[in-house]
Amino acid sequence: MNPPSEISAEQNSNNTTSGNRSLGFEFRGDGMEYFKIWIVNILLTIVTLGIYSAWAKVRNNRYFYSNLYLDNDNFRYLADPITILKGRLIAVAALIGYYIMSLFFPIVAGGLAIALMLAIPYFINQSMGFNHRMSSYKNIQFRFKGSYGQAFMVIYVWPILGILTLGILYPLALLKGNEYFVRNSAYGTSKFDFNATYKDYGMIFLTAIGISLAVGLPIALIAYFVPAFSVISSLLYIVIYFAVIIYVVVSFTNIFYASLSLIEHKFEANLTIAATAKVILTNLFLTMITLGLYLPAAKVRMTKYICSCLTMHTSGSLDNFSAAEKENISALGEEFGQVFDFA
Amino acid sequence: MLIEGIYLDGKTSKRHTARLEVNNDHKITAVHLTEQQIILSFEHQSYAVESRLGNTPREITFDDEQLFVCDNHDEIDKLTTWQTSRSSNQHSWLYHLENNSKLICISTIATIVLLYGIVVYGIPSTAKLMAHNVPYFTSAKLFSSLDLLDETVFEPSTLPVKRQQEIRALMTPYLSNYKGLQPTLEFRSGMKANALALPNGVIVFTDDFVNLIQTDDELIAVLFHELGHLTQKHMTQRMIQDAMLTIMVVFITGDVETFDLVTGLPTLLLDLTYSREFEIQADTYALTLLNQHDIPLQSFVDAMRNLEDYYLKENDGKAHSAMHDFFSIHPKTSERIQLVEKFQQ
Repeated sequence: MNPPSEISAEQNSNNTTSGNRSLGFEFRGDGMEYFKIWIVNILLTIVTLGIYSAWAKVRNNRYFYSNLYLDNDNFRYLADPITILKGRLIAVAALIGYYIMSLFFPIVAGGLAIALMLAIPYFINQSMGFNHRMSSYKNIQFRFKGSYGQAFMVIYVWPILGILTLGILYPLALLKGNEYFVRNSAYGTSKFDFNATYKDYGMIFLTAIGISLAVGLPIALIAYFVPAFSVISSLLYIVIYFAVIIYVVVSFTNIFYASLSLIEHKFEANLTIAATAKVILTNLFLTMITLGLYLPAAKVRMTKYICSCLTMHTSGSLDNFSAAEKENISALGEEFGQVFDFA
Repeated sequence: MLIEGIYLDGKTSKRHTARLEVNNDHKITAVHLTEQQIILSFEHQSYAVESRLGNTPREITFDDEQLFVCDNHDEIDKLTTWQTSRSSNQHSWLYHLENNSKLICISTIATIVLLYGIVVYGIPSTAKLMAHNVPYFTSAKLFSSLDLLDETVFEPSTLPVKRQQEIRALMTPYLSNYKGLQPTLEFRSGMKANALALPNGVIVFTDDFVNLIQTDDELIAVLFHELGHLTQKHMTQRMIQDAMLTIMVVFITGDVETFDLVTGLPTLLLDLTYSREFEIQADTYALTLLNQHDIPLQSFVDAMRNLEDYYLKENDGKAHSAMHDFFSIHPKTSERIQLVEKFQQ
């Protein structure tokens, strides 16, 4: 199915001696195999009136983590379904509580809404902390430690500045978000770093706007003078819209990995517009004609493609990472990490 | 028994080629690190074997985050069957369910049938039950949305006060049977030709609508249609149904990051199907009431025809496109007239 990643895997093993290696990420999952897990998950979720969804989430995530390989070692997902279930129950209880409050005491409910807005940065930190702790590679867990202030800036202040400046600072808001995410992440005791610039992000937006104008304007002009063309032109707009979206997603993914580093180890992503479009269109088509039954296989195909484009350029051995100290998270803190994490 | 695999101590990321030693009593006794020629004793440690999932490697976790990984499914399965009390054993039936092609076929069909049942029968009847049991003030408070509509789409009515009074006088006798719903009549302009019933009992007629109607009987026919929505609590029901649909879609696809088109389109189509069902119910209700009051059913047909003519003019004489019909909240006028013919028989 996926020749490029196999070739790179072979190269990896040949280069072991040099110290500087290029390791390809590889996803070894299979569409049919995941379909079976997915359909059983849905069936059991329906039969148990949603309770099983916590177990379904763990099985899904385990499948995708455990099939992701780097240097012949796989990642792992460690979460306990009970924790996720408790988090979801807290979320549902809070929602019902809020609903009842808003019926009887609308003013209190308004106050709660503001309190919730202020609490969101805290919950996002908890959620990222949980997801990182529950991910491991070579039996070393990831970590995330972000401050409330930073999270508040990234979630509210920077995006609002982006809007107030009519989008001029919007790339900066995205950049700040990514910096916040990456620089607070760690593999064991080793922190990740991120070194993209405002210019990198801004150029992607400018190019996207440029393409839209350069292609969109002539089409609009032709459609204006030749009315018969208007049927084709609306189709063309959909194509351009789709192409620009893919351009932006591909460029941001590539820039993200190019800017990512873990001590002296670097990363690289080589997604291409043509290949990404092919994967998305194939998935969309097959999902529609199978009335959604292809959805799990579509996710496997997408993951396979993205992983086949990712490379880690190591400098020295990957054997020397050490585990971070065990974090003492209160039971409630752990479950709060799941409250806003229904996906 | 010796099982080949990899050992990771949980303190550093160094992997060790290892062999898991299982004694004749089926207990894990040690892990041999083959390269270092070290034997780690596990005689008195507790351990957990992770459940089998697809072709992913098997994992055995020991105290202090120590981990043994291997691909030898058969040997590990043997190990788990011996440890009857292990939690992992509870999960092995999941693996068998996931890998039995007959069961998968049955599951797929069962899931489709269940989903169909939930969408076609479960959600509407649950929503109906809930809509009829929420206290009046709940639905009134939740959707007392006339203020909101006034701020967004409606303008004050430009109908002469005399005409408004005439219509009120015409309709009030019919409303006296519906004290429980607290129906009130309102006139507004904006939103083209339309009549709507809000859950708190407010029935709004737009100016364009009043102007296109030719007889009083037609007005009464449409009033009955809106009363049908009110008595059957359609708006509340639709809100509840939409919420349930969304929750269902999130449960099914929530663990799969999908593009909105794939999940959004079916949700939209189902919502439209539900809403057309409500229109037919309200139409049937209106026809029954017309019969009770000895008003000719033709007035309902005329009202529908007038509405259609109005919208044809609005669209510059262009007929509705197939796309428009497909995404319309209301059934086609011809279908509604057919309903009247059926009803007459």
